[in-house]
Amino acid sequence: MKRILLWLSLIAVVACSGKKSSEDALIASLDSLKLNQPLISKEVMADIIQQIPSPLEISFLLKSSGVKYDFDMLNNPNNISKYNSSFEKALNLGIYGTDLGYANIYEQNQDALFYLNAIKSLADDLSIGQFFDFGTIRRLAVNSRNLDSLLLITTQNFNNINTFLQENQRSNLSVLILTGGWLEALHITCQVAVKDPDNEQLIEKIGEQKIILDNIKLLLGFYVNDPFIADLHKQILELEKAFSEIEIIYKYAEPTFQEVNGMLVIKDNSTTTINITPQNVEDIRKGVASIRSKVIS
Amino acid sequence: MKKLFLYTGFLVIVFAISKPVAAQCDGDGLAQACVGKMQDGFTYLKSFKIDGQGGAKNKVEYSYVFSKDTQYFLNICSSAGDGTDGIVVTMYDSNRQMVSTNFMNGKFYPGIVYPCNATGIYYITFTFQDSKSHCGGSVLGFKR
Repeated sequence: MKRILLWLSLIAVVACSGKKSSEDALIASLDSLKLNQPLISKEVMADIIQQIPSPLEISFLLKSSGVKYDFDMLNNPNNISKYNSSFEKALNLGIYGTDLGYANIYEQNQDALFYLNAIKSLADDLSIGQFFDFGTIRRLAVNSRNLDSLLLITTQNFNNINTFLQENQRSNLSVLILTGGWLEALHITCQVAVKDPDNEQLIEKIGEQKIILDNIKLLLGFYVNDPFIADLHKQILELEKAFSEIEIIYKYAEPTFQEVNGMLVIKDNSTTTINITPQNVEDIRKGVASIRSKVIS
Repeated sequence: MKKLFLYTGFLVIVFAISKPVAAQCDGDGLAQACVGKMQDGFTYLKSFKIDGQGGAKNKVEYSYVFSKDTQYFLNICSSAGDGTDGIVVTMYDSNRQMVSTNFMNGKFYPGIVYPCNATGIYYITFTFQDSKSHCGGSVLGFKR
């Protein structure tokens, strides 16, 4: 019995110490980001990650507010060649993910395809390309009538990536993708708010991000042993100062219920009031622009 | 040596037989079925697995940041066709005060529409009332 175990151990050691193929080297480089695993459980990490809302919600808000599509606000897909480390690739994968959703919602098919190609390239480099059904997405992207299916499949693909990364001790990448996606959505909202300062819904949306910022800060804080993430975390703490004066006042009131077409429709009687000044918006805009320019350049 | 192989073989057979019993709840599959049952006009956000582990777990909980002035739709799918098989979803605000449920006046609704009026972290809690399978899937969508 002992002999068998010895042989098995020997085989395992030899197998692990063999010459690394380029793929192994790539995986090893990716794994460098998972060296410092956080001291919290996988479940707690997953709970915090899943709370972060989809950037699609903001893109829909922009479109429903009558805001016009503006490609110049987005990260140019040609910037992809600038991203070399896993850290840069993951952050910009999140950024391009938000840009893709934005282009899709505005039915800008050609731009969406450019973003899709950038996403494919980054996702392949991060060994998560298998979660994107690029063939189907491309087919759906060329026809505006497929918007619902397109949004469904891209959202599901990103959700599957997050689940996979969390289950494989690569939550750091998941956190970076989400951070990138959130930063881009906030950047777009701030850019639009500057041009349309009377749009109260947009201004409130910026103020609400204080809640998400708390989650992002918490998540990045788990990985401050990584020097790249520590630097990003520091920048987020700077951004937090711009949010510090914003007040979110919540008042609970019991809901009321009504049945409509077999579904239960709830009337939410609770309210939130968001106190945010134009100066707060400007400070947040500057803070986000500063972080984002470092991330995308 | 023969004994070792026999013992290993026995363990393999035991695992092969016991695993399907533990993996009976296809929460992912049921959640996927829920996607097709989303109300028109809502955009997909997330899927939730509801695995009560055959009754061993009495609560499955998720959380999400809901936004003011946004309508959310949440539905439940179970192996019991259009019914919820006793699965109750209750949503709570961050202070654990109830803001929504699919169980009203003794009736289980397969879906709820929640027009959110207050931005914040909300808990989506699935519990079981006389459920046979303790298993389901759910999908969250939104519209503005």
